[in-house]
Amino acid sequence: MVTVEGTAVLRQNRLGTKAQDFCNWPDESLRKWDSTLVVQQHIQQNVRAGCSNIDKILEPPEGQDETEHLKQFCLELNGLEVKLQSECHPDTYTQMTAREQWICLCCPAIDYNRHTFDGAQYFPGKISIKESSVAKLGSACHRIYIIFSHAYFHHWQFFDEYENVTFLCHRFTNFVLKYNLMSKDNLSAPILEEEAQNSVSRESEA
Amino acid sequence: MDELAGGGGSGPGMAAPPRQQQGPGGNLGLSPGGNGAAGGGGPPASEGAGPAAGPELSRPQQYTIPGILHYIQHEWARFEMERAHWEVERAELQARIAFLQGERKGQENLKKDLVRRIKMLEYALKQERAKYHKLKYGTELNQGDLKMPTFESEETKDTEAPTAPQNSQLMWKQGRQLLRQYLQEVGYTDTILDVRSQRVRSLLGLSNSEPNGSVETKNLEQILNGGESPKQKGQEIKRSSGDVLETFNFLENADDSDEEEENDMIEGIPEGKDKHRINKHKIGNEGLAADLTDDPDTEEALKEFDFLVTAEDGEGAGEARSSGDGTEWGANRTKLYDMIADLGDDELPHIPSGIINQSRSASTRMTDHEGARAEEAEPITFPSGGGKSFIMGSDDVLLSVLGLGDLADLTVTNDADYSYDLPANKDAFRKTWNPKYTLRSHFDGVRALAFHPVEPVLVTASEDHTLKLWNLQKTVPAKKSASLDVEPIYTFRAHIGPVLSLAISSNGEQCFSGGIDATIQWWNMPSPTVDPYDTYEPNVLAGTLVGHTDAVWGLAYSGIKNQLLSCSADGTVRLWNPQEKLPCICTYNGDKKHGIPTSVDFIGCDPAHMVTSFNTGSAVIYDLETSQSLVILSSQVDSGLQSNNHINRVVSHPTLPVTITAHEDRHIKFFDNKTGKMIHSMVAHLDAVTSLAVDPNGIYLMSGSHDCSIRLWNLDSKTCVQEITAHRKKLDESIYDVAFHPSKAYIASAGADALAKVFV
Repeated sequence: MVTVEGTAVLRQNRLGTKAQDFCNWPDESLRKWDSTLVVQQHIQQNVRAGCSNIDKILEPPEGQDETEHLKQFCLELNGLEVKLQSECHPDTYTQMTAREQWICLCCPAIDYNRHTFDGAQYFPGKISIKESSVAKLGSACHRIYIIFSHAYFHHWQFFDEYENVTFLCHRFTNFVLKYNLMSKDNLSAPILEEEAQNSVSRESEA
Repeated sequence: MDELAGGGGSGPGMAAPPRQQQGPGGNLGLSPGGNGAAGGGGPPASEGAGPAAGPELSRPQQYTIPGILHYIQHEWARFEMERAHWEVERAELQARIAFLQGERKGQENLKKDLVRRIKMLEYALKQERAKYHKLKYGTELNQGDLKMPTFESEETKDTEAPTAPQNSQLMWKQGRQLLRQYLQEVGYTDTILDVRSQRVRSLLGLSNSEPNGSVETKNLEQILNGGESPKQKGQEIKRSSGDVLETFNFLENADDSDEEEENDMIEGIPEGKDKHRINKHKIGNEGLAADLTDDPDTEEALKEFDFLVTAEDGEGAGEARSSGDGTEWGANRTKLYDMIADLGDDELPHIPSGIINQSRSASTRMTDHEGARAEEAEPITFPSGGGKSFIMGSDDVLLSVLGLGDLADLTVTNDADYSYDLPANKDAFRKTWNPKYTLRSHFDGVRALAFHPVEPVLVTASEDHTLKLWNLQKTVPAKKSASLDVEPIYTFRAHIGPVLSLAISSNGEQCFSGGIDATIQWWNMPSPTVDPYDTYEPNVLAGTLVGHTDAVWGLAYSGIKNQLLSCSADGTVRLWNPQEKLPCICTYNGDKKHGIPTSVDFIGCDPAHMVTSFNTGSAVIYDLETSQSLVILSSQVDSGLQSNNHINRVVSHPTLPVTITAHEDRHIKFFDNKTGKMIHSMVAHLDAVTSLAVDPNGIYLMSGSHDCSIRLWNLDSKTCVQEITAHRKKLDESIYDVAFHPSKAYIASAGADALAKVFV
């Protein structure tokens, strides 16, 4: 809800706000915010502006923190997870499989998803990024990639539906490549190969 | 039937003589003929079968063998059952007796300790008075008997007698061993002792390698007494830091040499008991220690001193010979304040003053407290700044001395008198809340939270599309702050988009959440002991209530009718009975007559009514059955700024016919349910008031606001009793929800910074 009092704009979602009006305030430059949650606010603002505008979303603001992006991915992947909950039964998908050779024996696919998302809370604080967390980021990215991959191969209708709306997988691929969080060898699924090629070609053009 | 069978099986094996005849007869029916059975039934009639024999004899002589057998069997089985019951009861009573005996023993020990302590303190006081008098007037004060109080294992003080130190050494060692044992029981390991004594020594600048305790003693005493003769120190009991340190010393060095004064040992024992109590309250002290210095060991050491000194001051007043049962900790706090005020008139201040001049830097902090405590302020404010248990700890010791009755007259029976006061007064003590748990796992702001009715469990709903279940007993060590981090034990996923509202059923087995996707999800709550990494259970989601067409911003549950109320941005308020096939029972305000509803609540004193608040600034009480609006609670504000009339939250008082509203214009307003008139209005915060909660007893009100503060108000006086700053701002929002636990002493707040905090 945008409330203009004088020249100040109040970025509040008051109770009773309609869904379409949620967070319906003008965008603001990063510099003007004096809060500790600036990076998250910025990312979310860009996502709202247009979730297909991947480059803009991934563009690093000051004090860029990859963990914020990861948290945002986990947040948005909840949507896919909800769709898959009814579909990805523990009995059918007793292990997490991504493509032909890759398999995770620890738990059913749906649980793998849940563990990944629940585990994202352990990412270090919002302010700074530390050395030790880089490895964790890599493994977290790997897990998220596995989730995408599983959805792509085994639940492709849901995956397509979801991707067309949110462009999440595209964004994730670009994110991972841009910040070198996963090596290209790991990106063995066709979707990501294609994405990787696209992004590389785009970069080479630019 | 199993019981009977078991009784039957063991019957023959039982050694009860009267049963022997009856047993086989009743059980196997192998007795030779009916006569044998009848004969068997007859003679034991005097035993247990007496009542059975009565009716038997009164009947006409028409017995049939099967009938008799059956009857006897039946009776016997009954007896066996009763016997089993008696055995169980007996076992229970024995357990109870053991328990009570244990308790009584504990109380007696406590009483003994306290008596000892008091005597020690009185003696100390007399000593000090003598010294003071001597210093002041240059003459001896006639105090009569200055004899050292004797205890069962200790002897009178006599520094000349060579045997005295000898015996004292022995007893001292025994005492020390005992103390070590106590401390180890408490969990106060040797390493801590070592650490502390090291730390303390370094504080006082003593060398670590000094094996001879007496030399250390002398050093300390000299430092503290300003060079008084070490001989005299034997006569004086110094309740100073020096002695306290000696306590550490002799506890730590098991083979410390013997020339520590007897008085130190005697002091040591009650001091050790203090440690006992300190350690029990250690957990509460952690938060306190964090405030003092940045060195944890110093903090701990100083913290102990503070406690002791607090105790000392209080107990010095034991001169008055008044003391209550150790369990009289629940006694009236105001009475305590009065007594402390009386303290100020005592000669007590002279004790610390003597020490103040001579203390070292590390001790100055403590002695400052000591000196200040001559006035009333310190003992009350200082402990109250710390954790709750610390308050109770210092109260304990103070009250044990300042209470009524003579300690020597204590018996076990006193416990019953005071125990019931304890819980009631504990609530009265709940003056300050301190942060204890931080719930950090959500990715985005926490919009709503609710406590389980009985367990220390809560549920949070967040804009990250999930709800999380937390068990406050499952904590992990926090990285940064003194508060504990809690990890969620379950994550609920079903909403598409932010979850905005939450309600828990009154039995705590179900919860409801409303989201921006216009659905209300109905969940079966997993058990608080569930493993976060268990496999996914699809039946946690019990159902979805569909009906609203826009974001569901408010939910309320009524345990009396097992119904749910929801309000939505589509303008309607709906009443649901989730169990039914068509769960939505009724819809209110379909015509948006009053605006868009923002919050709903059932009326506490009349569950057939509910109140809804609107974004136009008015709140309306509806009758649930007739759907009529009964009363309109409007605040009659000239709305220059209509938007500021927006009401964020409405709550109904649990017992009084009062409704409370939280406004966007920073006000909290109180309305009478019958007349609809505003009873009271107050500016409560610096920014919009976003949330309200009333405590289960109806005494306090808690409000949260976008100014990052939570305030607690006393509902009688309408004054703020505490303000807590919590949560950072995200964009222009800060605190979304606050809640009281229905049965335990917890309060919680939910913020836009993705954290939820729990205070105790």
